[in-house]
Amino acid sequence: MNRRRFLGFAVTGVAGATLASSVSYLPWSSPEKTAGVQRKEIPTTCEMCVNKCSIIAVVENGKVLKLNPNPESPRSRGMVCARGNAGLQQVYDPARLKRPLLRTGARGEGKWKAVSWDEAWDFAASKLSEVKQKHGPQASIWSSTESFAETFFKSLGLAFGSPNVERHPTLCLASVNLAYSLTFGTVPSFDLANAKYIIMSGANRLESFIMPDTVDLIGSTTDRKARLIYLDPRFTVTASKADEWYALRPHSDLAFILALINVIVTENRYDKQFVSAYTVGMDQLAEHVKPFTPEWAEVETEIPARDIRRIAREFSDAAPRAVYYAGRRSSWYRDDFHMRRAQAILNAIVGNWDRQGGMVPNAKITLGELMFLPWDDPQAPRVDDMDKNFPLAAKGDGAYLKMRENILAGVPYPVKAWMVHKQDPMNALPEQSKTLRMIEQMDFIGVIDVQMSDTAWYADVVFPESTYLERHDPIEMLAGIQPVVVMRQPAIAPLHDTKPTLEIVQGLAKRLGLSQYFDYTVEQWNEAQAKDLPIDAPLDYLRKHGVWSPPDGPKYGATLTPDHRFGTESGKIELYSARLKQFGYDPLPVYTTPSQPPPGKFRLILGRKAFFTQANTTNNAWLNTFQPENRLWIHPKAASGIGIRDGDLVQVTSAAGSIRVKARVSEEIRPDCVFTLHGYGKKSQWQRLAAGEKSGGCDAEIIETAWDTVSGGGAFHETFVKVTKV
Amino acid sequence: MAERKKRYALVIDSRKCIACRACAVACRAENQVPLAYTRNWLNQELRGELPHLLAISEPEQCHHCAQPACVRVCPTGASYQRADGIVAINDRECVGCRYCMIACPFDARFFREDRGVVEKCDLCKARVDRGEMPACVETCPSKVRVFGDINDPESNVAQLLTTRQFRVKKSEAGTAPQIYYLL
Repeated sequence: MNRRRFLGFAVTGVAGATLASSVSYLPWSSPEKTAGVQRKEIPTTCEMCVNKCSIIAVVENGKVLKLNPNPESPRSRGMVCARGNAGLQQVYDPARLKRPLLRTGARGEGKWKAVSWDEAWDFAASKLSEVKQKHGPQASIWSSTESFAETFFKSLGLAFGSPNVERHPTLCLASVNLAYSLTFGTVPSFDLANAKYIIMSGANRLESFIMPDTVDLIGSTTDRKARLIYLDPRFTVTASKADEWYALRPHSDLAFILALINVIVTENRYDKQFVSAYTVGMDQLAEHVKPFTPEWAEVETEIPARDIRRIAREFSDAAPRAVYYAGRRSSWYRDDFHMRRAQAILNAIVGNWDRQGGMVPNAKITLGELMFLPWDDPQAPRVDDMDKNFPLAAKGDGAYLKMRENILAGVPYPVKAWMVHKQDPMNALPEQSKTLRMIEQMDFIGVIDVQMSDTAWYADVVFPESTYLERHDPIEMLAGIQPVVVMRQPAIAPLHDTKPTLEIVQGLAKRLGLSQYFDYTVEQWNEAQAKDLPIDAPLDYLRKHGVWSPPDGPKYGATLTPDHRFGTESGKIELYSARLKQFGYDPLPVYTTPSQPPPGKFRLILGRKAFFTQANTTNNAWLNTFQPENRLWIHPKAASGIGIRDGDLVQVTSAAGSIRVKARVSEEIRPDCVFTLHGYGKKSQWQRLAAGEKSGGCDAEIIETAWDTVSGGGAFHETFVKVTKV
Repeated sequence: MAERKKRYALVIDSRKCIACRACAVACRAENQVPLAYTRNWLNQELRGELPHLLAISEPEQCHHCAQPACVRVCPTGASYQRADGIVAINDRECVGCRYCMIACPFDARFFREDRGVVEKCDLCKARVDRGEMPACVETCPSKVRVFGDINDPESNVAQLLTTRQFRVKKSEAGTAPQIYYLL
């Protein structure tokens, strides 16, 4: 391009700005130079992952230009990650959902008709009523994932009469939550900002998603010289920053932890005062761990016994500023719960409970509640039969995979309608062929989302929710060592014919004869919730600041009083759990040597990247550019054994299915494991960048169905795959 | 009292970099950089064999050299240096000759085919002039980059450079680069 042509461009640009203020955004004009620009900064809350960081939306002439961190939030630590920054793409993506859609072709064919909201609501309500009439209200599933407005969607399902509200934890951290709940009566946070010694199993906190723990961990390992011991079959970013990384044999974390306990108990390194004052079951534990010596664990884990012994000593020396970090991440194995329990027990006996640098029960801020008309509790039992299958698990969350098995088997009753709120079970659940079979047997599927997810792709009606930068949501309290209350308010008016969840729910409720239960606005909801906050005009404060946190900072030790009752059956921290025994489970964690992949096969392991939120953001153009396709990580030795070179197309086959991806031959993974990133090979053609074979393969097609037997949480590392060159 | 001359610089602690790419996306949004280009990037390297592996992740962008070769070779004066040290490009003067791209020892510049001009990091000078941090500095979860005035002995950057060891890249090019990598 020569100078003359460039000048021509510039002149056109200026003219455009003068003539049409609505398109005054010039891609190359510095904003501050443009006359008459209205610059607004609106504090709100991110929704690109579940961490809910506080952000400030910079808006000029009705366009969001930039999302900056809100320094007032102690939770988001003054940062916005790559996904948070790429939130603009969610709003301005030309392929986002813009208006309600009705399916016109076969399911998954991608033929849609844009309809009015009335038509979409009428259609969905008539289908839901039909199912209710034929099969009863329990014949409907209401699937949702964590979001501020999830409560409205769940309420609609329950008011409709279905017991089958199916939430995300059993695809996430159900086993962690249950293990810590049964040990401490609550799920604590880990004070990584102040810990001196941190052990972490596979949680890949520096990469799998960016949250306060990420910031604290990197700060601790660099500025504050904390020691990080990291266990993972894969060389992740966290492994690369750890002081010691062990590529342990998969599924042997529990052996490692039991050996740590063994050393700490036999060498009398546990906190005797704490154990006698606050715990039950030390004698049984001491007896139980006797056989689990470091030498025994070395065989199981491939971690040298001398290192295990040294780590146990260093860990107990650093206590109470020493933690075995609990999660997050999904369950990995069928006995995942027991591995998490062992961590909890190890943490308990070194006395790091409710101490600075240890584990801290989450502080909360009490919010008010809006009084609304209560509905009758659903009559039918849950289709996943939590009482029978997972009697100790959180019943209200359900057990996703057991639910799918039962629906496919038609027990205990037929299920014919599926409503989904901003979740993508097509990708989130293993063994996608089963999810597709479940979809086939539905008389009706309705999806609420901001984008055409793979699940929306198979729906009958798609309700477009306004994006998080275009809507109000209920205010939310986020518990933690430093709790916060956050506000989500629109930075701009909706660009398209979209609505917030509450209005979508109300439209359906009206047609289902359930309006009386949703007779409020989000403003009324928020007023009721905020009214007791100890600040003047709390909602005005939140509108102005986006976040509020108690000014007095973290507190430690409130539960360390002789009369404190823990939320367990005994009122103490339960090293030995009589409750587990009562329900037929091992009261102390029992290790079973895991099966290893047979010759010619590999264990498929999962993991995350810092710029993707599960399968949710792989189609975001600003993020996809960092990794436009997924590949199969395979060790050079393993690869050469089967004649595979870097970049070769390979077929990856399990009992659940088969996909094609390119090989990424790398030292960064054990020779007996392979790994591939989640969220590619999508079915939805509206997810252009992540769809089809050009983007790689869909891991959900090949992960086999398995779950943790106590919590019901999906066990995602139980799959062995065969890898062949195409 | 005469006002002390400012000299903006970046101090980068690569050990803290978790390769999350927040800086790249923040820059893209702030400076409206199309997908085909980027003003900052990561140099990544993996060394060793399992289990003895070393991963390096090092952010880089325009070094805002004190003796910028790009400014020297620019025939129209489009590339210029501000009094505070920021090296920037005046769009209206740029003829797209790309001499500066050849002169830059760091390959920090790119030619915008769509606009016919050269672009690069300008440390978000509009933000800096408002008293804000450059977007890449502000957004970073692990605070890899520290931005400030090295002529101010109280500044974070000056403090870091007096207390920590550091290196600059390609000092032999004679351009006096102003990104200081902590060792």
